[in-house]
Amino acid sequence: MNPFSAYIDHTLLKASASTLDIIKLCEEAKQYHFFSVCVNSCYVSLTKASLSESSVKVCSVIGFPLGAMSTAAKVSETSEALKNGADEIDMVINVGFIKSKAFDAVEKDIAAVKALMPHKILKVILETCYLNDSEILKASELAISAGADFIKTSTGFGTRGASINDIKLMKSALKGEVKIKASGGIRDAETALQYINLGVKRLGTSSGIAIVNGSKSTSDY
Amino acid sequence: MNIVSYLDYTLLESTTTEREIIDLCNKARENNYYGICVNGSYVSLVKQFLQDTDIKVSTVVGFPLGCSTTKSKIYEAEQAIEDGAEEIGMVINLGFVKSKNYVSVLKDISDVKMAIGDMPLKVIIEISELNKNEIVRISEICIDAKADFIETSTGFSKSGATLTAIKIIKKTIKDAAKIKATGDILDHESALKYLEVGADRLGISTTYKGLNNNTRQQRNSKIYKKYLESAAKKSETTQTTPNFKEVSSNKFQDS
Repeated sequence: MNPFSAYIDHTLLKASASTLDIIKLCEEAKQYHFFSVCVNSCYVSLTKASLSESSVKVCSVIGFPLGAMSTAAKVSETSEALKNGADEIDMVINVGFIKSKAFDAVEKDIAAVKALMPHKILKVILETCYLNDSEILKASELAISAGADFIKTSTGFGTRGASINDIKLMKSALKGEVKIKASGGIRDAETALQYINLGVKRLGTSSGIAIVNGSKSTSDY
Repeated sequence: MNIVSYLDYTLLESTTTEREIIDLCNKARENNYYGICVNGSYVSLVKQFLQDTDIKVSTVVGFPLGCSTTKSKIYEAEQAIEDGAEEIGMVINLGFVKSKNYVSVLKDISDVKMAIGDMPLKVIIEISELNKNEIVRISEICIDAKADFIETSTGFSKSGATLTAIKIIKKTIKDAAKIKATGDILDHESALKYLEVGADRLGISTTYKGLNNNTRQQRNSKIYKKYLESAAKKSETTQTTPNFKEVSSNKFQDS
């Protein structure tokens, strides 16, 4: 197995992705032994069915990509996704609340989702492109104290994806078993390796095949 | 007729702060806009600031991708209503459209409408992702699903409303539902153009330039007068259908 494979969440999140696109994504993930397939919550059931009898995990995004829905709505979307077969959840933090310095609300938003899934992996997307350095640190701390298992850089729908600086900042906030997922703009093996060498434990990308094959993808996620 | 009564004052960026929401409420109150549209996590705050006004609090569900499950959309809508929302804008499931799974597209909308009952439902069809045939098809589906409004765009896609798309939707649905145009309505003049071709509501952002000085008012008065005349004419003739030949075919490429 390619050493990159176990790091990769094979991802397709654009709104116009069809059921055939999702089935193809799942076939690729099985073929290349990727860690998981990451989809929007309406495709969790289909992904689960397509990946049955494989060890590839199902990952669903929640409150995606703005993170601006109510906490109650994120909780309900998560509970649906778990019921439909999601093994891991990638939720978007409430960026507006961070900008408002409503830190309690940020933490409660995350803790409410984590409460539904104490034994499953919760990744919290900080959407670093909209945050300054001190906000990245603060958001990391809040996510970790609210129970996040991973802190993740980006949705892929913001103004940019992960950066080396993001990872360094997030690393400095890490505690205990919490890990980092880098996502957005990771399209080749060189970039992937750079993040892995910095300590990143998971990569969110639509270019998993290119990364494994050592080529460069033109995908924009 | 006053144009502000057609406007939903909208702020949906994920980075929006509480302070910006409060400013939005104050501006909406000053200008007496029809409604205000915010993300779900700010509905209760907006309701609190506008409860002594007639300004309608509107929110979005499944926004902006439309890719959550129908059940999630329903719950999100119900929660928003509990928090004080008076209108719901839901995004259709574009993936189902591209999968040609029109039954699921219909069911997604009609289940949300059934759940929220009399509360107005605006269905956002994201025209920038649809070809002309799909706009027609989805508009028909919205009517079957009892949508109250068909809304053109989220404002988060490649582009927003076009006059052409409004004409196509209007020709398809006649008066079976209302039409809301969103995205790229930057000033009073373009607002009038959209109303003229059949839009009933317009989503505007905080950068919208209304009538705030005399020169502007004078410059616009001709267009405004023309609009009023054509509106009067329209109400005389029972059913005006837009001239479909005007629809430029190269604008929508069948994919």
